[in-house]
Amino acid sequence: MAVITNKLQTNLNGLILKNPIMTASGTYGYNNEYNDFIDVSTLGAIVTKAISLNPRVGNKHIRITETQAGMINSIGLENVGIEKFLEEKLPVLKTDNIEFIVNVAGSTIEEYVQIAKICNENGIKAIELNVSCPNVKTGCLEFGVDENSLYELVKAVRQEYSGFLIVKLTPNVTSIEKLAQAVQKAGADAVSAINTLKGSQIKISCVNGKISKTIVTGGYSGKGIKPVAIGAVMRLSKAVDIPIIGIGGIETVEDVIEFLSAGADAVQVGTANFTHPDIAQKLVFELEEYINKNGFKDLDELKKELRK
Amino acid sequence: MKSSEASEMITEKTKKIYKAKVSRIEKVSSLSHLIEIELPFEIDIKAGQFISIYCSGLTLRRPFSVYSHAKNKIGILFKERGEGTKYIKSLKPGDDIDIIGPLGNGFDIKNKKALLIGAGIGVAPMAFLKTKLDEKGIENLFACGFLNKNEIPQIINLDKIYTDDGSKGEKGSILNYLGLLINEYNPEIIYACGPLIVLKTVAQVAQQYNIETQVAMEKVMACGIGVCRGCVIDIKKDGKTINATVCKDGPVFSGSEVVWQ
Repeated sequence: MAVITNKLQTNLNGLILKNPIMTASGTYGYNNEYNDFIDVSTLGAIVTKAISLNPRVGNKHIRITETQAGMINSIGLENVGIEKFLEEKLPVLKTDNIEFIVNVAGSTIEEYVQIAKICNENGIKAIELNVSCPNVKTGCLEFGVDENSLYELVKAVRQEYSGFLIVKLTPNVTSIEKLAQAVQKAGADAVSAINTLKGSQIKISCVNGKISKTIVTGGYSGKGIKPVAIGAVMRLSKAVDIPIIGIGGIETVEDVIEFLSAGADAVQVGTANFTHPDIAQKLVFELEEYINKNGFKDLDELKKELRK
Repeated sequence: MKSSEASEMITEKTKKIYKAKVSRIEKVSSLSHLIEIELPFEIDIKAGQFISIYCSGLTLRRPFSVYSHAKNKIGILFKERGEGTKYIKSLKPGDDIDIIGPLGNGFDIKNKKALLIGAGIGVAPMAFLKTKLDEKGIENLFACGFLNKNEIPQIINLDKIYTDDGSKGEKGSILNYLGLLINEYNPEIIYACGPLIVLKTVAQVAQQYNIETQVAMEKVMACGIGVCRGCVIDIKKDGKTINATVCKDGPVFSGSEVVWQ
């Protein structure tokens, strides 16, 4: 096992992580599931699967399909609910020494506030609000696309939650900058961007003139969305002062560096975890290697040079 | 992906991800191929478990039930169906292959007289199961259905063969012969793998005879380890219908617990 020094230490306005590599919500389970492939405790943080107040069973129809340069998912926020998370998943995170951020989903302001309150009471030091899931009918995305309701939501959560508050933004809007500004004004500590792009796939088969179709609609993710994400992060870095966590199609250390250059202070790896379940840890090592090889003092110096 | 010195160090014996080598690849029927993969070390695999292969350039790994296993060698049978299998077919002996596994629960082998039902490429995990049953000295009958004789992998010894067009064995779908097979052979348990309709029918017919079944299900998967919830099916548990992942809770389920669509 390679020795990890503190060269990669990342300070997101108070949230200190050992490195800037996190794993995106929905791709990494709740705690140590990837210990089959890597030592999860070496990552900057994992972001848990979205957790709602009550358990959710998720969607019935086809939930995943591969596309060119990525995939579409329509899981529908299936999750165990906050109670079971605290009872069963949280103890494992603690014993395994895993840094984590709880991704929170709700359908009303009250629901978000209630979960945030519970997280506060249980000493959970960072949460990420999912206001941009394209796969559920009510709430969630509705907050994510309207700056006024997003402001109200974040403000209400802020009042009840004293830990590190991240808001995950959707790219499915006209101006992601305006939403980020609303989030900053409401007192959030950071934004993460981007969530999945809304997309569809129609698989058509034709046998003897008889056409049959399978349609999957959901969130498009994977390497195909990287340019969209880089563009969003670049615009966000000009629009807000709070830290930005870059997400979207990251697969290589060069991708990580591109996001840092665009203005991200940390990143989340998502879909690539499915392709290469050891990728997040590889990126930690490769980022450190990149810094050493190029003679930078640490991550902060690399970021500074990248943004000159 | 670029490999670096640092990244080589994280693969340990305890981890389920391997840089393996293709040791053999050959055509075993007009539509299917056998690929044999050599791991850097020995691992344990249960019949019904699967491995998932990284196919260069594709986002999702492709899962395959294990067909054969001895020490550090794993064999899988596959039919070229899309981009993933096209890539695997293009591999040559000596090529690197990136696999994760063994994944899933596998069959829960019972010391009971067993009927093994395979259909199409679903024959693969059943052949592995048969080896395990034979090793344990458990009486079994291996019956498989195919579209035609060209689809039958030549490397598998089958006790009974059914082809839709009658080009080999009995003519017609194996499903038409289930009752007859059960009456003649009197199995205490049935294990099955194949298309959904086959598994559903096996489970329903077996239930009429009050025979236990274990069926190996298939579904498009993303993670392969139960986290993404992409491959769920409905099962009955304690009187309630709940989600179960084919990749982690399965792929083998009791035929009576599956809520058949």
